[in-house]
Amino acid sequence: MAEDLVLDTAIRDWVLIPLSVVMVLIGILRHFVSKLMRSSQVPDPKIVKEGQVIVRARNLRAGANFIPPKAFRARRVYFSNEENGLLFVPKGQAQNAQAQMFSDPNMAMDMMKKNLSMIIPQTLTFAWVNFFFSGFVAAKIPFPLTQRFRSMLQNGIDLSTVDVSYVSSRSWYFLNLFGLRGLFSLILGEENATDDTQRMMQMSGFGFDPSKILCL
Amino acid sequence: MAGHTESGAYDKSTNDLQTTNAENLQSNMKVIYYSRTFLSIIAGVTAGIFGFTSVTGFIFYFLIMTITSIGLLSKTKFTVYSYFESWNQLVLDGFLGGLMSFVLFWTFAYDIVHIF
Repeated sequence: MAEDLVLDTAIRDWVLIPLSVVMVLIGILRHFVSKLMRSSQVPDPKIVKEGQVIVRARNLRAGANFIPPKAFRARRVYFSNEENGLLFVPKGQAQNAQAQMFSDPNMAMDMMKKNLSMIIPQTLTFAWVNFFFSGFVAAKIPFPLTQRFRSMLQNGIDLSTVDVSYVSSRSWYFLNLFGLRGLFSLILGEENATDDTQRMMQMSGFGFDPSKILCL
Repeated sequence: MAGHTESGAYDKSTNDLQTTNAENLQSNMKVIYYSRTFLSIIAGVTAGIFGFTSVTGFIFYFLIMTITSIGLLSKTKFTVYSYFESWNQLVLDGFLGGLMSFVLFWTFAYDIVHIF
């Protein structure tokens, strides 16, 4: 907490505002590019059919208390008996979702496209920020932080005497990267690129769980 | 999980078969997420213009989020369980995601108005 730095207004006009505006515009551009590259695939009728059966079974389970026990049992047999039940899969034939995903080249291609449309603009923006704006103190966050945050917030400036709450331009870029996600979901609607990456992470990590998407 | 345990929450079983409709529930969650994000951005800009620093700003954020929760609660006509599965969803969902946006816009507005 030494004396306050005086920041030049030219930094505001030529670093802070342009950087933020460019980040927003690149986010919008990325959204539309990934929308263009997304190939519309015709869903496999068999998979759709299976999904509908599962939805019906779930409805049955949820409404089990509202129908007579006999009717419920009849329906349960219809779904799960071992000869010709709709949900019964013979042992050994069940393939897991992940193996299925990798056997389908279109799926991998799609993921690749999404990945690329995410990584390329980020690398380019980072290189651009590094090239033009390295070494600026661009902003000051309005709350104090401990010394631990120095490497996070003053990335690119090697001065240990500057107060930690001053933010270098490279770190302002990172702040924008994380903080603008909410703004994008507001201006671009629900299906923007960041949502896709989250969904992708989940699909590659665990099984597909639609309820988890909302939690993130 | 939309089980039948929730049917106990209703006095009269006006609902048909399912007690919760998964799609409607998701749409409700989305509404919460949007309103919280929007309000955290607005709150960030407001806090920056007023020039709140350190703890005051975070208190302001908590205040706005509390007001949002109360607003959403009154929007559900104080019957949370007919729109959501639990109170946590209404009160806590999107809280941390909004904090990031709040800090960004707070810093931005504060710098433009007060620092330069």
